[in-house]
Amino acid sequence: MVICLLAFFWIVATLFTGFGTLNVDLLTTSALKGGYFEMIVGTVYLFLGAAAIAGPIGVFAAIYLVEYAPGGKLTRIIDQAINNLAGVPSIIIGLFGYTLFSRQLGFGISLLSGWLTLALMILPIVIRGSEEAIRIVPTSFKQAALGLGATKWKAISLTTLIAAMPGIVTSVILGIARVAGETAAILFTSSVIITRGLPTSPFEPVMALSFNIYVKIVARGESPENVFGIALILFFIVVAFSLVAIILRIYYRRKQPWLS
Amino acid sequence: MSYEDKIDIRQLNIWFGEKHVIRGVDLKIKANAVTAIMGPSGCGKSTLLRAFNRMNDVIKTSKTTGDVFIGEKNVYENGTNVYDLRRQVGMVFQKPNPLPKSIYENVAFGPKIHKMAKGKALDKVVEKSLRSAALWDEVKDRLNDSAFDLSGGQQQRLCIARALAVDPEVILMDEPCSALDPAATAKIEQLIRILSSDYTVVIVTHNMQQASRVSDYTVFLYLGKIIEQGKTKGIFENPQHELTEQYITGEFG
Amino acid sequence: MKMSNKTLNKISSFFVSLKSQPMTVVLFLCASFSIVILFLMLFFVAREGAYAFTKFGPDLLFGMQWDLESNVFGGFPLLFGSLLVTFGALVIAIPIGVSTAIFVSEVLPFHLRDPIKSIIELLASIPSVLYGFIGLLIVVPLMADIFGLPSGQTALTASLVLSLMTIPTIVSVSGEIISAVPKDYKEAALGLGATKWETIKSVVLPIAKSGILASIMLGFGRAIGETIAVSMISGNQAHVASSFLDAVYTIPAFIATHMGEAAVGSLEYSALFGLGLILLIITFIVNTLADVVVKRGVQR
Repeated sequence: MVICLLAFFWIVATLFTGFGTLNVDLLTTSALKGGYFEMIVGTVYLFLGAAAIAGPIGVFAAIYLVEYAPGGKLTRIIDQAINNLAGVPSIIIGLFGYTLFSRQLGFGISLLSGWLTLALMILPIVIRGSEEAIRIVPTSFKQAALGLGATKWKAISLTTLIAAMPGIVTSVILGIARVAGETAAILFTSSVIITRGLPTSPFEPVMALSFNIYVKIVARGESPENVFGIALILFFIVVAFSLVAIILRIYYRRKQPWLS
Repeated sequence: MSYEDKIDIRQLNIWFGEKHVIRGVDLKIKANAVTAIMGPSGCGKSTLLRAFNRMNDVIKTSKTTGDVFIGEKNVYENGTNVYDLRRQVGMVFQKPNPLPKSIYENVAFGPKIHKMAKGKALDKVVEKSLRSAALWDEVKDRLNDSAFDLSGGQQQRLCIARALAVDPEVILMDEPCSALDPAATAKIEQLIRILSSDYTVVIVTHNMQQASRVSDYTVFLYLGKIIEQGKTKGIFENPQHELTEQYITGEFG
Repeated sequence: MKMSNKTLNKISSFFVSLKSQPMTVVLFLCASFSIVILFLMLFFVAREGAYAFTKFGPDLLFGMQWDLESNVFGGFPLLFGSLLVTFGALVIAIPIGVSTAIFVSEVLPFHLRDPIKSIIELLASIPSVLYGFIGLLIVVPLMADIFGLPSGQTALTASLVLSLMTIPTIVSVSGEIISAVPKDYKEAALGLGATKWETIKSVVLPIAKSGILASIMLGFGRAIGETIAVSMISGNQAHVASSFLDAVYTIPAFIATHMGEAAVGSLEYSALFGLGLILLIITFIVNTLADVVVKRGVQR
């Protein structure tokens, strides 16, 4: 455990030595002039779109698994499939996204392909988190609504789902934290090293912080010091989302009156 | 004083999986009166009650045969709209179960899902229901507070108000006071008496004193069968069946 | 007559419930989405890799040479690199991960568990490109210094960084299982005068064994599929490494760096997908086994 703590603080400490390279002006300067603007916004575009796709599907899947699934063999297979999807290496997700979205469906190297590919990585996180959130809501809420003559779907969507919302939002944020710095999955599907301004449609490629770090170091052989600023920004984005998710979870666990 | 029959149950049988819970029950329940169903725990009281608004349907393994007429209509008949049925036959549960919403939204929930009222009309329905549940004076200044801020007894009256808001004919109460203290219980019991002038009330209880205090008619259920039924006074003063007498005198239960 | 009436009742109530049925269908489709995606994934990766598979057969995995000019593609050095780096990572990560899990869920005072778990979770959420970046910045020069190498980009470097990335998986999965060991058992042992450590050794670990095993398998799956960090710090040399201090190439790192240059539809392109398919199947098997192990452990 000490090693984990040390590792964490070591990482943070190292990153902070690079603070000097970060300059507030660079955040809003276009990449064409050596700034980070399009990378930052591109990263945000990517994870927001992916979350918007994976969020609803994941929540619906979780509702099915908790409230509707008959619990037979099929349910077990679905469960297993979700675990397996979560375990697929991101490079394979990237290969798949490239083949299906970029080529087969003709979306090309684009924001849209990136959204769909990253959504596949967020999906298992949202399903598992939402399942948990729905499961801890007391059935008495649903019962009350059913007793008033609500249909099953109305009872669940108007009571259980609303009570589970903080937990669901937390799981989506956690999913975002997981893909905000994802590189392998967007390597072939959505990103390029430089664009002229921001993408104006989902069919255009997009810049991303993670992609830039990787390509500059591996393909161009630049020294890590050159991308220190980008790495630092990415670190802040990811840690911010993780922290928000963690704090939300602790906060709501304490706040929900029906859990006491 | 004579009452009309509101609910007429004929040869009702209910199974949960292999378990035969309700065994051939025939029962008539009078309108605008309070009928108590009592019996030892596990005798099927709650299951019988839940047959009236088909809440047993929610449990996948349940199977029901027989007929339950409410008014003229057989609720187990083809094409019954169970959602409409559950509006007509309101239910109050064992533990107060307010929704995680404001006091106002709790009462407005039913009218909203059935699209019965909105805006000013909805405000009226909420006020009327809360008044009927003897809760209005305590909450009128804080309708937007969370329902969880209320005491247990207030929460249960809120649940009663919520059931009243959809304009039911029958109100089913499943041991509504079992989670409440004596003072809150007394208030609910008083409320049940008042409600019986407008509604048909069926209450499940394992508390004999409660049955004798609030009900006009009493049904004694044992192992899924009706052992005895009749006017409450008669049952408590002069039980016909040995089992009933044993139960009332506290020899088992 | 009465019976058929009941059957009719059933059918009619089914149709009444159809009112809410469309939603059930939508929900079911969303839930089955993961299955569909997995099948599509297998199908597409296999389809693209089929050309190389028919051409090389098992040599795609066991051939020694990856040569663009002679159009021969054998992935053995890559497979070896992947296994070497993953093995090294697990050797480091298992003892640290399992002992951390025990420490957090058995020894640590209750109010400290949440903060520590949160930090481990944070560690898990740091993207691999940053692990690669930090590895390059710190571990690589350190390795070169310690071992007097011209380049610190070695299998050992990759294993070290990879172990940091695997530890959170091992800690969270086995920690969950360890804290699920019923209190009664522990109290029984403690009541017999066993010390805390004896209790953990003789009661907690045997019961949590399957969970710990599963966490190691999941860690393996995570480590063998790790792409970006490894490709940044392992030196990327497609040869069979002679030691941990040699540079290596792993399958995912190789795919990541070569996809861009391979012409679509070419034999090399197909061979890359072939390697991907093998990786996919390995992780499938490992993850499924991990699930089975956990479930069997829970039943017992």
